[in-house]
Amino acid sequence: MQLRRLLSALWGATGLVLPLAAAAQVAEVAPRATVFLEPSKTSKLLVINPNAELSVTPIDWLELHAGYEADIVSGATESLKGGRLSPVDIVSSATDFKDTRHQVTGGFGLTRDSTKLSATYAFGTESDYHSHAFSVQSGTTFLQKNTELTLAYGRGFDRVCTTGFADSDGPSVRRELDSSKGCFTKAVDRASRKVDLDNFQVGWTQTWTPVLATQLVLYGALQHGFLENPYRAVVIAPAGDQALENHPDNRLRMAVAARGKYYLRPLRMALSAGARLYRDTWDILGQTYELEAERYVWPDLRVMVHGRYYTQTEALFWSDDYTGGEPQDGPRGQYWTGDRELSPLSSYLLGGRFIFKKTAEQQKKFGNFLRTFETSFSFDLMKTTLKEFTWGGSKPDDTLALIASLGVRAAF
Amino acid sequence: MLQVAFGMFLLVLGGCVTVRPEQRAVMADETMQFDSDPGDRAARDHVLENREGSSGGSSVKGGGCGCN
Repeated sequence: MQLRRLLSALWGATGLVLPLAAAAQVAEVAPRATVFLEPSKTSKLLVINPNAELSVTPIDWLELHAGYEADIVSGATESLKGGRLSPVDIVSSATDFKDTRHQVTGGFGLTRDSTKLSATYAFGTESDYHSHAFSVQSGTTFLQKNTELTLAYGRGFDRVCTTGFADSDGPSVRRELDSSKGCFTKAVDRASRKVDLDNFQVGWTQTWTPVLATQLVLYGALQHGFLENPYRAVVIAPAGDQALENHPDNRLRMAVAARGKYYLRPLRMALSAGARLYRDTWDILGQTYELEAERYVWPDLRVMVHGRYYTQTEALFWSDDYTGGEPQDGPRGQYWTGDRELSPLSSYLLGGRFIFKKTAEQQKKFGNFLRTFETSFSFDLMKTTLKEFTWGGSKPDDTLALIASLGVRAAF
Repeated sequence: MLQVAFGMFLLVLGGCVTVRPEQRAVMADETMQFDSDPGDRAARDHVLENREGSSGGSSVKGGGCGCN
């Protein structure tokens, strides 16, 4: 049913955009495929993400866009989290899974002189999660286009499938899902729960000299609802008692990021450096530092290399083991989690990107139809260090990830 | 206090209108854009947000390139 609605929405969006594309001043298509691989003996993960965007500009001040993407996920995951003291065999609880998420988007952009306003709607569906999201973004440049301010807001209305427990059931008797079978039907052992998402972002980009620009971004997000992983249980008592993860219902997230771009004339290279500080009401403090260098190696081919370091503290209620007799009115007595993303960790990312771009001379087209052709390939390696997280006392081996992405963009 | 801060902000901005359109050849180049390949960045951000406790603050399109 959801897939049928998704296909109808995709068909409708494409049907609207395609005729306009034929008559448009500019039409642009951008397919891309990204692969994420985490090798592991017991809990490998493979995500293949194909996506495509189509945009048309029927008149100077109007742009219409539509897109589709999928996350094809396969691998194995441990459905039960326990720490060093847990009397339960955690690692052999890893189970295979496969799932596919589909998402369609559609929207428009209005441009007037130096001001732009755009709006997008996205609908996503998978066997255990449905989402509707609206977002609006506006931006303006002034002071001879040396200054640009952007403002964005997004609202998500999501639903996640869980087992059929009642809200009045105590957290310690709630059970995890064993599969998505029966989700979003009237099955008595299934329920769906709300997740509300609000996102805000303000950006200020400033050109200071002919070779130096900076950017400041402020971000805030409010999440409310069922924020647990519905498939993960945690060992919460010395006797091996288990219960579904139990997270707070609200999370306020804030980030401030600053970055700068400097053009090094002697090397004809663009250098970029950035830092981000993140804080949320679950008490996670994250720091991100990035460096990037990009230059042309041929007139139409440019190469970028970059590095990233990330570190975070744990959530206030995170523990590797909940069987140690935490006070029931303390954060680790009220809440429990098996998510490594909430544990103290750090990661290094190293990667690079090639972009080949060919643009036809003004008023001309390649083969009488192609204005611009661009293709990019990027490759990243990410190594994560989990400082305290274990599966029953064993360090996870799925801490090296490969990310590869190949994209094409063509304007007609 | 807020008015003083806002006044100083405007003063700083006013003082930075030093890059004229004819000086923007470098800034107009794609290597100087903060989000020159948004598809690639979005794909990476999608992965990182699922592997880290942090999110947000990604680059916004911009660079004030004024490349007209």
